[in-house]
Amino acid sequence: MRRFLLLVTILAILPIMLLAENRTQEEGTIVRMRMTDCIAPHRAFMSTMSGAAGQLPGELCPEYVLVTDKVVYVIIGKSSDQIVPLAETTRFHFQNNEVLIRVDDARKESHFHVKEMTLRPQWERYQQFAEAAEAMTAAHHHLEGATLVNAQQ
Amino acid sequence: MLTFCGAMVCGAFAETAAIASDATFRADVSEVRVSFSTTDENDRVVDTVLPSDFAIVDQDMVVRDFRSFIRSEYSQLDVVVLVDTSESITPRFQQELAKVLEIIHRTGGVPEESFSIVSFNDVKPVVVCEGNCGKLKLDEQFLIVKSGGLTPLYDSMVFASRMLGRVDDQHTRKILVLFSDGADTISLKSFTEAMDSALENDVAIYSVDVSREPHAARGTMALRSFSANTGGRYFPVEAGTGKIIDAILEDFHATYTVAYKLPNRAAGFHQVRILPTHNLSLQFHCRHGYYYPSNSGN
Repeated sequence: MRRFLLLVTILAILPIMLLAENRTQEEGTIVRMRMTDCIAPHRAFMSTMSGAAGQLPGELCPEYVLVTDKVVYVIIGKSSDQIVPLAETTRFHFQNNEVLIRVDDARKESHFHVKEMTLRPQWERYQQFAEAAEAMTAAHHHLEGATLVNAQQ
Repeated sequence: MLTFCGAMVCGAFAETAAIASDATFRADVSEVRVSFSTTDENDRVVDTVLPSDFAIVDQDMVVRDFRSFIRSEYSQLDVVVLVDTSESITPRFQQELAKVLEIIHRTGGVPEESFSIVSFNDVKPVVVCEGNCGKLKLDEQFLIVKSGGLTPLYDSMVFASRMLGRVDDQHTRKILVLFSDGADTISLKSFTEAMDSALENDVAIYSVDVSREPHAARGTMALRSFSANTGGRYFPVEAGTGKIIDAILEDFHATYTVAYKLPNRAAGFHQVRILPTHNLSLQFHCRHGYYYPSNSGN
């Protein structure tokens, strides 16, 4: 009887625990923000993950790069006015493949499509490549300018 | 700022060019400076702002670490009032314009020599007065200008921006008060060139919309865009003189300048936005970008 009660209790608590787990708040920092074409709602997560994002031309939505300890998310709002405060720390959680962010004391949470997900080490490597490429471009311009000055002398 | 960052970068390179006849020096432009004012949800100026209240988005990079954050050291205003005097428009705002002039003079902060009026209603803009506007009677002055149906708005804006740009003084806030319906019928310059000219010359545009349907017209969108992108403000003419003047003077007294490390050296136009970090009702008014030159060195 005692074992049966224990089993029932576990079975009763498990879904709550799973739900709580699912709603666990995560923290990250927004490092980039831009306005970009909105994504059609029915083509959100799966289509963007497959590289066939359905975009709504004409309407612009905010896109954020949200960096967490392990994963970097590119999330995109569903309308142009879904602006998130750019605080040092942004708290969010997942629900139905969407990122939910509560803005201040707003009653509702803002829902964002997940456009991309990258492991942080991989994202950092990409950033290093991008910075190196940019430095090379700047150095190239510098050399071009110096050559021009020499040619004029 | 490289809200008035444009001034900073251009200034650095102008200096380099001046010395270039004897030797070549290359300056490393690594800092962006942006001046801005702040309003709340009621469009009232917020006098005290902290660095933790906002973040800057330069291109798409979010910047929260600032090298400096100070109240802007503007000591004077340089104002050009640019007036569309085409027949259909003039009667509707002349009274407001007269009040603007009167209040600006009464309020002080604008020395006589720093105040000009330019009108346009033919193929070219006309300087109505420059440095002696206080002594003129408006009615008489606007009678001098020929009546016509043409509206060279963009050309006139370029003209007025260059006029303001002649004074290269970081302590002077350059203001263009534009009375117009936003329509242009004949300019050689484009909308983009008019905007660029204002940005290059560090001019903030305060537009006063005199169109009949201020919320529908295409011209209204153009006026809003000019103001938003240059750190000025937009008003329908019905807002009244007091509000326009208050905005200009409040912005003048409650402007901050923030400096930050240049986030990337991509040549061309860098779009800049200032966004709140916690209070989403705050609106930050600044120029929406600056040009980073392609030969800036490293």
